[in-house]
Amino acid sequence: MKKIVAVTACPTGIAHTYMAAELLELTAKKMNVLIKVETQGAIGIENALTDNDIDFADIVLLACDIQIDEKRFIDKKIFRTTTTEVIAHPKVVIANVLQKI
Amino acid sequence: MRLEDFMDIHDIKLNLESKTKTEVIKELANFMNQKGNIDDLEALTQDVLNREALGTTGIGLKIAMPHAKTAHIKVPSVVFGRSDDGIEFDSLDGEKAHLFFLICIPESGVNLHLKVLAMLSRSLIHESFRNELLEARNVDDIINILKRVE
Repeated sequence: MKKIVAVTACPTGIAHTYMAAELLELTAKKMNVLIKVETQGAIGIENALTDNDIDFADIVLLACDIQIDEKRFIDKKIFRTTTTEVIAHPKVVIANVLQKI
Repeated sequence: MRLEDFMDIHDIKLNLESKTKTEVIKELANFMNQKGNIDDLEALTQDVLNREALGTTGIGLKIAMPHAKTAHIKVPSVVFGRSDDGIEFDSLDGEKAHLFFLICIPESGVNLHLKVLAMLSRSLIHESFRNELLEARNVDDIINILKRVE
């Protein structure tokens, strides 16, 4: 099974960050893909990705509308999108991520 | 903490009258103002409109969640409004929005409140939760549905 690690982050960190995270988790499950989603919102970081999570992931999905620290993801394949794109087309986003692996 | 700890039946308006995005944001902000927690209604409304200008909060699925971090509110506040006819809100799916949550939090957001609001955002992704909100007959029903958000 393919493994994705993801980060979601939006400008205010109140709504889109969490909606995108929830949709990624739901959609990945339906598509038989393993995913762990870290949220960087107004609360701070939740469900943080560990070094281990990142090492074992096939790809990193960044659904971030703001700049985040990407040092952890050096040497990994990265797929970039926005929280709104995830919310509007979650299946398409995951399909595109899988294709890039 | 649960959503019901800072929302009650007075924060729910089932028959929104507005026809446009700007109107409904103003209508919801006016409604929020009833509790006396806003020090400058016009400035708060502008903060919400400014956030909207960064990207629509009409996320599709009949939902709009206009929101702002603003200096003009004393405590984190949420009001819910519903429009049976729907209102154009620049939604991501091009459809009208029917379920509206206006969320305003002070600049120094209280973490407990933020966690509940994050759970609300997550809950709205689920179709069954949205359908219950769409079909509820009165404010008591709505509060009972929202009570489950924690």
